[in-house]
Amino acid sequence: MENPNMFRIEDRVAKVALVFSYVLLLLGGLFGFLQVLSRAPGMPRLETPQLYYDGLTLHGVALAILWTAFFIVALAVFVITRELKINMNAPLLRGGCILAVGGSLAGAVAILTGQATVLYTFYPPLQASPLFFIALAVILIGTWLISAAVIEAIWRWKKLNPGKEVPLATYGVFTTIAIWLLATPPLAYAVIARSLPMSLFNAPVDVLEWRLWFWYFGHPLVYFWLVPAVTIWYTILPKVLGTEVYSKTAAKAAFVLYLIASVPVGLHHQFVDPGVHPVYKYLHTVLTYLVAVPSFITAFNVIATLEKAGRMRGGKGLFGWITALPWGKDPVFTGITFAIILFGIAGFSGVVNASFNVNYNVHNTAWIVGHFHLTVGGGVTLTFIATSFLLVPLLFGRDYVGKKFLIAVPTLWFVGQLIFGISYHIVGLLHAPRRTYIAEAGYLNDPNLLNSLHLVGQWIPWLQLGAIGGVIFALGGALFLLLTFATIFRGPRIGLSGGELQISPTPGPATIFDKLGLLALIAIVIIVIAYSLPAVEIYSRGLSPAPPYWPSGAPAG
Amino acid sequence: MPFHGEERIWVGVVAAMAVIFLAALAYAAWVVGLQVPGGDVQLVEPQKALQELKPGVREIAPGRYEVIIVARMWQWFPSNITLVNPVEVKFRLTALDVIHGFHIVGTNVNVMVFPGYVAEITWRVPQDAKGKYLVVCNEYCGLGHQNMYGVINIIRY
Repeated sequence: MENPNMFRIEDRVAKVALVFSYVLLLLGGLFGFLQVLSRAPGMPRLETPQLYYDGLTLHGVALAILWTAFFIVALAVFVITRELKINMNAPLLRGGCILAVGGSLAGAVAILTGQATVLYTFYPPLQASPLFFIALAVILIGTWLISAAVIEAIWRWKKLNPGKEVPLATYGVFTTIAIWLLATPPLAYAVIARSLPMSLFNAPVDVLEWRLWFWYFGHPLVYFWLVPAVTIWYTILPKVLGTEVYSKTAAKAAFVLYLIASVPVGLHHQFVDPGVHPVYKYLHTVLTYLVAVPSFITAFNVIATLEKAGRMRGGKGLFGWITALPWGKDPVFTGITFAIILFGIAGFSGVVNASFNVNYNVHNTAWIVGHFHLTVGGGVTLTFIATSFLLVPLLFGRDYVGKKFLIAVPTLWFVGQLIFGISYHIVGLLHAPRRTYIAEAGYLNDPNLLNSLHLVGQWIPWLQLGAIGGVIFALGGALFLLLTFATIFRGPRIGLSGGELQISPTPGPATIFDKLGLLALIAIVIIVIAYSLPAVEIYSRGLSPAPPYWPSGAPAG
Repeated sequence: MPFHGEERIWVGVVAAMAVIFLAALAYAAWVVGLQVPGGDVQLVEPQKALQELKPGVREIAPGRYEVIIVARMWQWFPSNITLVNPVEVKFRLTALDVIHGFHIVGTNVNVMVFPGYVAEITWRVPQDAKGKYLVVCNEYCGLGHQNMYGVINIIRY
C-alpha cells in the first residue's frame, strides 16, 4: 500500500455494519426457512404457533428492516469515502452505529424471548414489552446520527466543489438517506408517543391514526432499500461489464422521481381500511403510479446499458447481445442481472397492489408475500449479495474463498425466489391469507369442511411448491454466508491497491439535478398535500382509542 | 447530456399506460360502483360494541341482507352465516380487542376490522355464487390467528 488508509474509522464502521448485516441475514433467513416449510400443509411442521409468530416477527424485523439498513450503511460509507474522498464525522458515525447495533440486539432479545410476538408491523393494540419499543426508538436515533454524517459529508463536499456535479453513486446515496429522513419522523411519533405509552401504561391507541403514520413510513421504507440497489445497477453493473450507464441524465431523473414521489403513497396499504375517504386513497394511487415511472425509466436504462455491453462483446442482431454477456461466468454480473429480472416481475404485481379497488383481490393475501419477496428478497437482497463479492474483498483486504462456488449463490437464489414468488402470487390470487400459520388452521385439517369450500383445497400444492422454492434459495443464502464468513475470517490476504477506485461515470458540471435542497423541498410540499387531507379527516372526526391486548388473548393491565 | 429520443418515447408510453389504468380504476369505483371503504364511519367503544351493534343477520328486503359481525381473538361472531338467494349484502364489522381482517375467500369482500371503528362494505353477490365460502381472518391477531375462521353458506332455489 502506497498511502495509509485515510478512512480507518469510516472503514471500521462499514465493516461492523457489513458483518452485522450478514448476522441478521443468517438469523432472519433461518426463521424464513422454518416458516416456509411449517406453513405448507403436508410439509414438516417444525414450529409451535408461538415460535412461528415469534420467528415471523424476527424474520420481518431482521431482514426487511435491519439487514437492508446495515448493508446500506456499509455501502453508503464506502461510496462517500471512496467517491468524494473526504472523511465523515466520526462521532456521529460511531455513535449511530453503536446505537443501531445495540438497539437491534435488544429488539432481537425481546422477540426471541416471546415478549414481542407482534410481527414487524407491530400494529396496536397488540401489546408487547417496552424493551421492544425502546429498542426500535434507539435504532431510529442511531440511523438519524448516521444519516446526519452522510448528509454533512455531501454538504461539505459540495461547498468544497462548487459548480461540480454530484457523482452518480453519491447521488443515489443522497436519495436513499433523504428518503429515510423524510419517512422516519412519523414512525418515531407512532413508536414513542403511542406504542411506548401503550406498553408502559396500557394507554389505549387509536388504530387508524397509528396506521396512517406507520404506513407513511412503511412505503418509503421499500424505496430506501430499492434506491441503493438501483444505484448499484447504474454504477457497479456497468463497471463490471467495462462500460458506463447508457443515460446518466435518465438515471438522475429516476432518482429525483424516487425522492419526490416515494413518501406520499402510504394509503395504498390502507385501501380497505375504514375511515379514510376514497378520493384520498385514489390520490395515493395516482402518486404510486408516479413512483412506478422511475422504475420503468430504470428498466429501459439498465437494459440499454446491457445491450451496449453485449454489443461491445461482439453480440450482433436483435438478441445476439444478450448471449454475448458473461452469464454464468461472472457472479457479480449474473447476480445483479438475476436480481433485476426478479424485481421486474415484482414490479408488475406492485402496480396491481397500488391499483385502488383491484387491491381487494390481493390485500393481505399470499400475493403480497410473493410480491415483496421478489422485491426486497429478490431485487434488493440478491443485488446486495452480488455486490458483497466485490465489497468484502475491498473492505477486509481478503480474497473470496471458494471462488468457483460463488456462481451457485445467485443461481440458487434466483431459481428459488422465482419458484417461491410465482407460487405465492398464485396462491394469493386464490386468496390464501398472509401472516398465518396455515398448516395449523382448523379448516385445512377437517377434510369434510375442506372439500366443501370454494378454492381452499387448491391452496395446498402451491404452498408446497412455495416451500420447495424457499428451501432452494435458503440453500443459496447458506452457501453465501458460509463463503462470506470464511472469507472475512480466513480468506487469503490481498494487498489493497491504494489507487483510484472509480464507481460512477466521470462527473461533469453541476446541473439542475444538483440543487439537492430544492428537490427535498418539492418532496416535502407533495407530502404535505397528500397527507394533510387524511390527517385532517382523522383528527377532525375525533380519535377512538382501543385498549391493548396480549397476543395470548389476555387483556393488558 | 439530454434524454435520448427512445427514452422519451418510452416515458410517453409508460405515462399513457398509467393514465389509461387510472381512468379504468376511477370508472370501476365511481361509475360501476366497486368502491373502497370510505370516510363515513361510526365510532364505537370496543367494550360496548356487542351491545351497541347487536351482531346478527337481518334480511331487510327479499335478497337484501344486513350482516353485523363482531370480531374478537379468535372468533367471528356470528361465524356461521346462511344467506338464501342473496342479491346484495351489507356487512358492518368491528372488533372487541385488536385488528382483524375480514376476507370471504373467492370474493371481493376484503376489509380491515378495527376496534373503535365500524367498517362497512357492500357485496353485490354474483348470481352464480352458491355453496360454502370460507371467511378467514387475514390480519395477524395473536397466537390463535390461524384458527379464526367462519363459513358463509349461500343457498339458492
